Amino acid sequence: MRFEIGLVAALAMLVGCSGGEEAKTGTTGSETPSTEKALVVFSQANSQDPWRKVFDAETKAAAAKHQKHFEFDMQDAAGDPGKQNNIVDTFIVKQPKVLLISPTDDGVKPSVEKAFDAGIPVILLDRDFKGSDKFTAYIGGDNKDIGRQAGEYVAKRLNGKGTVLMIQGIAQIGPTIDRRGGFMEVMAKHPGITVIEGDDCGYQRQKARSYMETFLQKGQKIDCVYGHNDEMAIGARLAWDAANPSGGAAPIFVGIDACQQEVVDLIKSGKLDATFKYPTPGAAGVELAAKIIKGEKPTEKRMILPTEIVTKETADAYMTANPNLAK
Amino acid sequence: MALSARKLGFGWLSHVQRYQGLIGLLLLLVVAYSLDAKHFYDPRNLANILNQLAVPGILAVGMTFVILTGGIDLSVGSLLGLLNCVVSTWIVAGTGLVPSIAYTLFLGIAIGGGIGYIVSATRLQPFIVTLAAMVSLRGVAYVYTNNGTVSGLGDKLNFLIAPQLGIPLSAWIMLGLTGVSALVLWGTVFGRNVYALGGNEEAARYAGLRLTWIRVGAYAANGLCVAIAALIFTARNTNGDPSAGTAYELDAITAVVVGGTSLLGGYGGVLGTFVGAMFIVCLNVLLILKGVNTYVGMGWKGLIILIAVYLQSVGRRR
Repeated sequence: MRFEIGLVAALAMLVGCSGGEEAKTGTTGSETPSTEKALVVFSQANSQDPWRKVFDAETKAAAAKHQKHFEFDMQDAAGDPGKQNNIVDTFIVKQPKVLLISPTDDGVKPSVEKAFDAGIPVILLDRDFKGSDKFTAYIGGDNKDIGRQAGEYVAKRLNGKGTVLMIQGIAQIGPTIDRRGGFMEVMAKHPGITVIEGDDCGYQRQKARSYMETFLQKGQKIDCVYGHNDEMAIGARLAWDAANPSGGAAPIFVGIDACQQEVVDLIKSGKLDATFKYPTPGAAGVELAAKIIKGEKPTEKRMILPTEIVTKETADAYMTANPNLAK
Repeated sequence: MALSARKLGFGWLSHVQRYQGLIGLLLLLVVAYSLDAKHFYDPRNLANILNQLAVPGILAVGMTFVILTGGIDLSVGSLLGLLNCVVSTWIVAGTGLVPSIAYTLFLGIAIGGGIGYIVSATRLQPFIVTLAAMVSLRGVAYVYTNNGTVSGLGDKLNFLIAPQLGIPLSAWIMLGLTGVSALVLWGTVFGRNVYALGGNEEAARYAGLRLTWIRVGAYAANGLCVAIAALIFTARNTNGDPSAGTAYELDAITAVVVGGTSLLGGYGGVLGTFVGAMFIVCLNVLLILKGVNTYVGMGWKGLIILIAVYLQSVGRRR
């Protein structure tokens, strides 16, 4: 009996110890924990795609610069709004000075409003809530504008005539709705272009690849593939290459995000034609948090970070300007 | 079953097995005390834990019925997602609260009972039937909401999570449901039949029990629990999301197993499950407070399931 209980106790201790270790490596600036130091917490929606990985890396890097001023703690909700509510509720217990959050969807609104009502400044990153102004500031890109710019680029490349296959991201979330909406807005002005609304491929490369493989079985001619992110554009391109081993005239491939080394390389080699930068808001969020802790008020409630197009011509310059691209 | 363990000279082991959830929970509370007493034992954190407990706790109570029959239900996460969308859509469309809630509860019971009937009628493994239901119900949720989320619910369901006598109504509901389920399982013919079916199906059949109805009853009870959990989930998230509840069945199963109920059926009960759910939620909260990476936390949870199931099986091998 003693042995078994000892075993269970040892395991429990192990959980405890590794918890402590993880807290040290997972958070920047906690080497010398002091109770007086301010705490900034960051609730990430998920860390599963390359864009979020760059987002995480840049946020942590920015927080590391401020480790003299505040402690930084982050948690990832693995895409589950229920879990993110739990995380935010638990964060509130720790009484942080600023809450940074990239919400999974509108379902997180209640806990975020609870934090705001408790007097914690809330900085929303990348996504905001419909019909709620209970936040201190919002920082993000403009997906609708990106969708429009992608539409303009495609219309110009196709000279206003042709067929576009749009491979879609997670159907119910804002970025997908805007990347689709902005694009379709421009397409409405070009009646010569037909848009085929492809499946929800969840922003995932392998799903887009399987979808494209099946689509190509139909033998329908397409002039352009517009993916709601680069991963899906790459998946579609891989499927195209597999179906056309001898090459031939490929359609134009356009993606969004421009956060990976691989994408820039593919643009340089001509496998992808263009992508649009979707700026990561983490670093700007941490800087704003630092200002708030110093007692400054944010100058604007909504800070929109600009996009830019990346093509073969601009690829090298883009790489120099953005050293933190995902490998 | 405890007898066989005793025969092998493991008399004490049956006690560990019976109270493994409680032992685990107490150990966890000690660990929490040593790691972060300041935040973990803050009264606000108690409210926080109770708030988080209701959904996984109620799902786990329902899952206990199914597991006691020797079955398993992988579809509860998907059913929760669907009912989350249904109740949101109804309320946003202007239907009154009472009909919306009644309809949600009815759907939960009907779908749960239907799954139980299919398991019984086809004699397929519950794992397969509920896996199919998990996929289909998730698809239905997306079709039902036309791939979008349903918002505009406001605080219409907020009464479910508002504090009553110091703790959230959702926590009261969970406690009440656990108590009622304990009474049903231990004090009614239906409850004894659930144990009989899970303990030895052949014997139960020869004893003339109507196995189909016991199964339908157990799965319907589970469906009712899922519906109640879905209402509380909706109150907390204030929207309908077709992806809601993804993988929640795993937390429910973990709570049941940690609580000492045998996955083979026929042994265990809802009081253990309550402790198991408390364990899972306290573990989640502690992992968040200590800043442990979510995915590392998932690794630990898997290990804990393995240990719990192993402890259950020690001394019971034939």
